[in-house]
Amino acid sequence: MTKVLETMGQVCPFPLIEAKNAMEEIKSGEDLIINFDCTQATESIPRWAAEEGHKVTNYEQLSEASWTITVQKK
Amino acid sequence: MTLMIFTGLLCGAALGFVLQRGRFCLTGGFRDMYLAKDNRMFYALLLAIAIQSVGVFSLIHFGFVQYDAGTFSWVAIVIGAFIFGVGIVLAGGCATGTWYRAAEGLIGSWIALIFYMITSAMMKSGVLLPINQKISSIEVHNNSISTSLGLNVWVLIAILVVIVALIMIKESRKSKIVIPSLKPKKTGISHLLFEKRWHPYFTASLIGIIAIIAWPLSEATGRNFGLGITTPSANIVQYLVIADKSFLNWGVFLVLGIFIGSFIAAKGSNEFRLRVPDVKTIVSSLFGGIFMGIGASLAGGCTIGNGLVSTAMMTWQGWISLAFMILGVWTASYFVYVRPRVKKQAVAKQAVSPASSH
Repeated sequence: MTKVLETMGQVCPFPLIEAKNAMEEIKSGEDLIINFDCTQATESIPRWAAEEGHKVTNYEQLSEASWTITVQKK
Repeated sequence: MTLMIFTGLLCGAALGFVLQRGRFCLTGGFRDMYLAKDNRMFYALLLAIAIQSVGVFSLIHFGFVQYDAGTFSWVAIVIGAFIFGVGIVLAGGCATGTWYRAAEGLIGSWIALIFYMITSAMMKSGVLLPINQKISSIEVHNNSISTSLGLNVWVLIAILVVIVALIMIKESRKSKIVIPSLKPKKTGISHLLFEKRWHPYFTASLIGIIAIIAWPLSEATGRNFGLGITTPSANIVQYLVIADKSFLNWGVFLVLGIFIGSFIAAKGSNEFRLRVPDVKTIVSSLFGGIFMGIGASLAGGCTIGNGLVSTAMMTWQGWISLAFMILGVWTASYFVYVRPRVKKQAVAKQAVSPASSH
């Protein structure tokens, strides 16, 4: 199952805080798609994923100042 | 006047560009020391302070720059820095952070910025001036740490440089993890300037260098200080409402330059978009701006004026305000981020196990 987290319009660090919460609700191997538009999160979310050992399967810019990242739970 | 406009805008634009591309956010940095036990941004700040300190005291030594540490209004600085620390969490960014996020198109930062500028002007020449003066009048004569301790200032600078060097060596020995990044769409100089992730210590080194250059540029126009945000931000409001040209100084063009530089950086890297916040963020930004303006005016500086510049000048004002700013950030972080989460978990727990409690 894939969970989608919409954080567009939320300022940092809320996208990351929401992502951490959402991660607790999914099982190992499942995907969490996070959509965000906070510029600082382009650094903080992939960093958090890497440090926690989760796998980033997709990461791209959608349009002006909006991004999507897919994190697979370890 | 032309020189002032040109060098001020240019120095500001360079700073704004570096802040935006380097994602240099001290509010986030101080917050993460507490929330994530991550000191990287604090170390980056120390690096920028050390570089600036060596550079500016060299300029002073050779007579290019004049500096007087002045007096130390300790009560105003302790209270002001703490209030400022709370304010920057509510506003979602410190003074420079709010300037550069405003240039990224965040309407919430515009609100914080406007209230920050207005309350600073109120504290510096408006209705709140008497309160500011009363609290600031409690002072001790000496603001210079080296004079108080009877040490040559270079001894203090050497200690700071050694501490920073040790931290940098320790940091470079940490095992590096690979952080996933976006697929590059640009090449060459355009990739380096508008796409590539900048290392915080690289960004901090550039900020340290810009902070050094700011001193002689500013002094050439008769303003004896380096980077500063709060007073210039207030000066803009003061000039706009009473049209007194004496409020236009190098610092005013510096902060306007920050806006221009970060706008260019954001636009060039497809990171500019007007973003309207929800009501909760609007209210939070509004109070954040008010706290920032009152706090920074009392403390005589923000994360830059006190945290980056006055620290490099080895003053009590710089280091003590930095400590209380961080305390303010941690206090606000507890109420904004930690407490709601703990409460939510408690509620969730009750909801799951109502039967077991009876």
